[in-house]
Amino acid sequence: MKFYKVKVEEREELGTYTLLHYRWSQELVEPGQFVMARAAGYPATLDPFLARPFSFYDYDGKMASLLFEVRGRGTALLDLAPTIEVTAPLGKGFRIDPELGRAALLGGGIGVAPLKILGRHLDAMGVSHDVFLGFADAGSSVVARDFPGAEVATMDGSAGTCGTVLDAATGLEAYGAVYSCGPNPMLAAVKLAAGEKSLCQLSVEERMGCGNGSCNGCVVPVRGGGYVRSCVDGPVFPAEALAW
Amino acid sequence: MVVREHETGVDLAVELCGLTLRTPLIPASGTLAKEALGEVEGVYGAMLPKTTTPEARAGNPPPRVAETPAGMVNSIGLQNPGVENFLQDLDAFDLGVPIFVSVAGDTVAEFGWLCEILAGDDRISAVELNLSCPNVECGGLAFCAGPASVEEVVAACRAAVPGKPILAKLTNEGVVENARAAESAGADGLTVMNTIPALTIDARAQKVLVRGGLSGPAIKPVALRAVYDVSGVLNVPVIGSGGVVSGTDVAEFMLAGASAVQVGTASFVRDPQEILDEFTAYLKENSSGAAELTGALRGVRPVLAGGEDI
Repeated sequence: MKFYKVKVEEREELGTYTLLHYRWSQELVEPGQFVMARAAGYPATLDPFLARPFSFYDYDGKMASLLFEVRGRGTALLDLAPTIEVTAPLGKGFRIDPELGRAALLGGGIGVAPLKILGRHLDAMGVSHDVFLGFADAGSSVVARDFPGAEVATMDGSAGTCGTVLDAATGLEAYGAVYSCGPNPMLAAVKLAAGEKSLCQLSVEERMGCGNGSCNGCVVPVRGGGYVRSCVDGPVFPAEALAW
Repeated sequence: MVVREHETGVDLAVELCGLTLRTPLIPASGTLAKEALGEVEGVYGAMLPKTTTPEARAGNPPPRVAETPAGMVNSIGLQNPGVENFLQDLDAFDLGVPIFVSVAGDTVAEFGWLCEILAGDDRISAVELNLSCPNVECGGLAFCAGPASVEEVVAACRAAVPGKPILAKLTNEGVVENARAAESAGADGLTVMNTIPALTIDARAQKVLVRGGLSGPAIKPVALRAVYDVSGVLNVPVIGSGGVVSGTDVAEFMLAGASAVQVGTASFVRDPQEILDEFTAYLKENSSGAAELTGALRGVRPVLAGGEDI
């Protein structure tokens, strides 16, 4: 896998999350696509060995941004690095169909990341939408200020509605399109709540080895049996394709 | 920077089982998907797609991978579409270099059956036997768990595919004895070594995260020792594999006795072209061709195969 060294142009602390901005020049990044990223220094460092997958938080044709939370050594080093290494955009993103009518965007925790770029693309295409964001607590919900008008829920009730993102998002069946990213149990609940009339697309969060389809590590079970790779066949899937 | 042979005058070619490989690098089985082929043109001396089995396998439920210090543990479960679909898709791996095919079966008969099918396919230059998979006729012990089962499965494959080189891929445990058994049963070469059995635990959730095989730079010294010991006592060529991430690593494996070197997990985290470029630069600095490195350290000190010599 080819990595590109890029300078971190700006680092924003958003509560317990960090938002990194770096220069990137490419015509298009589909909302929902991701990169593998790590602190620069490889292969001199060798460890942590693997890069980590991150959805594009945003990309305007010049600057790309990644949202993450420090959870282990890989993200701890990423949080400190003045220079990082990223791959070209990977995976399949969200399909946008303006004919479907009003859209609902639901993010859980760090899974809010791809909803920023998705929301901008929907705006550009004239698709009206509502945003619902769920977090563990007020500390992790700070990023919600970047989503004006979004409904917020926290599990401990320290900000917004007390409960899950679905407690803040009622009447999902009424939307023509539902887009969601978050932990798998949340996505399964969103799929159920969205019903079968709307186009429901889910961006899964999986542990990844390579990001280019080679290691078969990041699989999700699909309806009809077997597994598909979330890095090349996803990470965005039509809800009905998934077994859960 | 891309270093090409015609620019550097460095001879990267090696001979392996009667085949000429334009570089000594080969992808390790299960680490290079069709989707990633665009990145590796010109890097490898042979192609080696993911292991194929008689029938399709869904593979193991996730989680399948976990990062570990300087490496990773994987438990994929040989997910693959089965040999029939595999062969329909094989042309995608034609990058103008020999294609090696890795096979695995549940039984000796399945190994033999697969080899028979591959024997008649002109696109395939060599067959690698993945002997780390469980032998269901021996209570699930791996085929390479001991020399008797190695000999039995290699002999069956030898008979089934008389016209192509077969390479026995072995794990570290008992590697010298198993290598002897493979050679005496007719293997043309050995791939040393497969991943090392390993486990990761999630202490917060108090559960096993991944029980599988360890790969990456963490296992390189183990693999080097295995290659050194095996190539010191056997005549068949050895393909080194285990933890290669740089051009210097490639050189180390060849100095230890390998005729070619597999790049596996490293291709997840590096552009394999960079590894070849580094290896080319190493050869240039040392005024050497690739093939001259093989076994250059042989006889420098006695090899006490299998012993715990220090």
